Amino acid sequence: MKRLITTAFVAIGLLITNACNAPSTPQGSTEESSTELDKTTGQAFVEDDVSNPNILQIAVKSEDHSTLVAAVQAADLENALVNAGPLMVFAPVNAAFDKLPEGTVETLLKPENKGDLANILKFHVTPGNYSVDLIKKFKKLGQANDQSVPVEVKGEDVYVGGAKIIASVKASNGIIHVVDAVMLPPSE
Amino acid sequence: MKKASILMIIGAALILGLFAFPMWNIQLGAPQYPEPLGIDIYINGLKGQSEFDLQNIDGLNHYIGMKTLPKPEDMWEFTVFPMVTIAMSLLGIIIGLVAIFRNASPNWFLFWFLLMSLFGVLGIYDFSQWLVDYGTDLDPNAIMKLVNPDGSPMQYNPPLFGHKKLLNFDAYSYPKVGGILLWLGMMCTLVAFWLGRKSSRNKAQ
Amino acid sequence: MKNFKIGAAVCVSLMIGACGNQGNSDANSSKGALNSNIAEKVYIAPGERDEQYAFLSGGYSGNLTVYGLPSGRMFKEIPVFSQFPTSGYGYSEETKPMLNTSFGFIPWDDLHHPDISQTNGELDGRWIFVNGNNTPRIARISLSTFETEEIIEIPNSAGNHSSSFITENTEYVVAGTRFSVPVPQRDMPINEYKSNFKGALTFIDVEPEHGHMDIKFQLLMPGFNYDLSRPGRDKSHGWFFFSTYNTEEASSLLEVNASQNDKDFIAAVNWQKIEEFVNNGGGTMMPAQYAHNVYDESTHTATSDMMEDVLTVDPSEVPGAIYLLPTPKSPHGCDVDPTGQYIIGSGKLSADITVHSFDKMLAAIDGEQFDGEAYGIPILKFEEVMAGVVKSGGLGPLHTEFDGKGNAYTTFFISSEVVKWELGSWEVVDRQPTYYSVGHLMIPGGNSRKPHGKYLVAMNKITKDRYLPTGPEMEHSAQVYDISGEKMQLLYDFPTHGEPHYAAGCDADLLVNNSKKIYRLDENKHPYAISNPSDARVERDGNEVHIYMSTIRSHFTPDNIEGIKVGDKVYFHITNHEQDFDVPHGFSIIGQGTSEILVMPGQTKTSLWEPKRVGVWPFYCTDFCSALHQEMQGYVRVSPADSNLELSWSLGE
Repeated sequence: MKRLITTAFVAIGLLITNACNAPSTPQGSTEESSTELDKTTGQAFVEDDVSNPNILQIAVKSEDHSTLVAAVQAADLENALVNAGPLMVFAPVNAAFDKLPEGTVETLLKPENKGDLANILKFHVTPGNYSVDLIKKFKKLGQANDQSVPVEVKGEDVYVGGAKIIASVKASNGIIHVVDAVMLPPSE
Repeated sequence: MKKASILMIIGAALILGLFAFPMWNIQLGAPQYPEPLGIDIYINGLKGQSEFDLQNIDGLNHYIGMKTLPKPEDMWEFTVFPMVTIAMSLLGIIIGLVAIFRNASPNWFLFWFLLMSLFGVLGIYDFSQWLVDYGTDLDPNAIMKLVNPDGSPMQYNPPLFGHKKLLNFDAYSYPKVGGILLWLGMMCTLVAFWLGRKSSRNKAQ
Repeated sequence: MKNFKIGAAVCVSLMIGACGNQGNSDANSSKGALNSNIAEKVYIAPGERDEQYAFLSGGYSGNLTVYGLPSGRMFKEIPVFSQFPTSGYGYSEETKPMLNTSFGFIPWDDLHHPDISQTNGELDGRWIFVNGNNTPRIARISLSTFETEEIIEIPNSAGNHSSSFITENTEYVVAGTRFSVPVPQRDMPINEYKSNFKGALTFIDVEPEHGHMDIKFQLLMPGFNYDLSRPGRDKSHGWFFFSTYNTEEASSLLEVNASQNDKDFIAAVNWQKIEEFVNNGGGTMMPAQYAHNVYDESTHTATSDMMEDVLTVDPSEVPGAIYLLPTPKSPHGCDVDPTGQYIIGSGKLSADITVHSFDKMLAAIDGEQFDGEAYGIPILKFEEVMAGVVKSGGLGPLHTEFDGKGNAYTTFFISSEVVKWELGSWEVVDRQPTYYSVGHLMIPGGNSRKPHGKYLVAMNKITKDRYLPTGPEMEHSAQVYDISGEKMQLLYDFPTHGEPHYAAGCDADLLVNNSKKIYRLDENKHPYAISNPSDARVERDGNEVHIYMSTIRSHFTPDNIEGIKVGDKVYFHITNHEQDFDVPHGFSIIGQGTSEILVMPGQTKTSLWEPKRVGVWPFYCTDFCSALHQEMQGYVRVSPADSNLELSWSLGE
């Protein structure tokens, strides 16, 4: 066991070192690069291990949301999830992604589908911070992709866009509602 | 000869410019005065280059014990010089008119020029005496008493002409419009003399 | 095993953190200040001066700060709504009346939106207007003295937020209420808000020569929240546009209850029509209490008058003057482009920006394309007034400014970026991240017919790691972008003071030559001024003692004063006899219960001192005025209350 841990550390260490050693931009082309967005700047990358964790930090640590986190990273949406918000994220568990037709996730994760993926992910985000009880007061919620998602109350359960809220976790910048299904944006 | 006489009249009249424009200017510049403090010297008194410059120069000078800058009533020069200037201008104009109508000798032009030059030299001598007095006759109870490296008390008289470094100040002393008009006017009379002599010689031939 | 997993996860996230930081410094070296051609764009060599002025609101500091662009150097903090010990504003006897209100002396406010006066829709650089949000007030600041000259309180208003924006000839400065309230105020149940509360939109007349303000009329609108506003300009001159939210008229838990309607409104107000109505005797005078405070530059003294009534107008009295334009998702920013054609509503909970067309609005009014009404005010059909939608790809649009070249720049709070888009095609041209969570942005003149568009300043709400840490509380951060090219270029970060809510800016040339250097002593009409040190004296009137004192480098006249008694109220009236640029003298005395005062050349200021103890107490100059500054001091002898010692004063005896 101990050996395993050591190996894991070394492996991760190597990985990180490699990532960090990405070749720096040559002097001559600085002008051009200055207009590109750097993927590793922004609030998501501010070092802070003291404050309460934000939505992204919680998601990263949750085993049940590894698919979601991978998707967020593929869509470059990390910075959107650490903002002052408040943000409400409907976070489908890994099993929810598994329920999608085979190959859907793989297709979405391809770089050329980044826009579609971002649209779906933003459909899971509401600007606001509402407990399940407060959500019941809405008939629909306005999502970050500018579409609306219906809210239904069936007995004790609250369904948002057909996905059932199965748990809720408070974050420093909003709230995560864990849902059992992926919410697909209505086609316009 | 007529041309020369008119030039004589113009020259003599130009020195009246001393009443409209300052003849001399002394500027004091320092890092904390990006717009230098300046004194405009008029024939009849001193004026700040900007409105409150005299007051501010006096304010600075009191540290080293200099007298405050003179008001017109403090110096006889500011009464006498204007009278001399008017008298000389009138004299020059009369000489010019006489030359036109009575054919006076162009030597009178030279006489006027020499007389004016004499007054000029006396005026400059007087001015330099005043600068020395102003810069050296210091209040023995001055707040700051500075000495030269050789131990003699430091003197603060600005230059008669050109640039001089006074402590952290750069002092500049140059003629201004009035002074230039005076010089131009005198040059006119000199040219008038030369022209007049040429034409009277031509006539004589 | 579980422990291991958590450990590894933490480890990974920490590592990512570390890597992110490394990435950050990499990023800095490739696109930050180390890039020499960027450095040259913001570098102002010693002795050189900036190209433009920027006036950043101080938010909860209550004051306005003056910066240079592109350097981001702060030049001055102008006290407006807050007491300011640095100059004695709000502490000196002359300036205390500036902070008077109908609630008494209020030493603070939340200063929001600066706007520079305009003529023909272009900045004219005479005054800058700002609003106090909390105890509703509008202030006017002179751009020749850079001092607050006038403050007028706004009655019937609360949360004075859609303010202080001016019409294009500075005819009016407009103040809209964010919180609707009972008008007039009365004791009533909060839950009867709906249809009982009113939102006052106040039009304050600005007298063209001196800028003096006077409330012309108040429009009593339905009880929505009026968030931000802008004047029509050029073709839409004569109209004013206000964004609204909480058209649900909720009084509690607004984050839920004011987010129910898909669309709120932008209210379009034809103020020229209402002005005409009022000039013909329309409107209702209503009792109201509000303070009007004016600082007189010649007496160096402010006076405060309490006003007693205000002219109100009910929208139903002026049909055809007000229309509502449906706008999605609780619009925050309400911005009008330089041509006056487009009115931009930024739905703050949305990804998109809605743009209304002024021409379409007029046509819709003509064609009576109404979609119902609210409290008698016609609601125009959304499709009939909408010019376009900017599909931004960002989240949380707040504010928009313009470069005068057909482009608009909108800040996105949630996605933390500035997006440049083209007016007319509604296409996104460029986007740049901000650090972090940008609120307002400002392009000098970007709120006029003629933007001086070269730089863009983004005012961010969150600073985090941008500067060396200073504990939990940090100044907000601003970023300067060069917008002269097709793509925006981040040039520089600089910390700001308080919380900047909006800013105003202009070319330096507009102000430099009008900036006053000194006050003329021979024009000083302060009742306690002395024009000559020989007039210095001390006078007693009961237990009030007035000291007529002058200063010049490097002494006070007089500097020895005797005959003061415990329990006296001692007024030091200090006239600075310097007539030299940038030579103020300060005054402070031990146990002074207010603040020091800083007296500018030619000015008179008064500090009240109430000696509590017998003794000989020193006073001194607080501003290092000269090489003999340390010698610039004096003594006051304080005798027991029953002492018979006569007043005496001297200098150098």
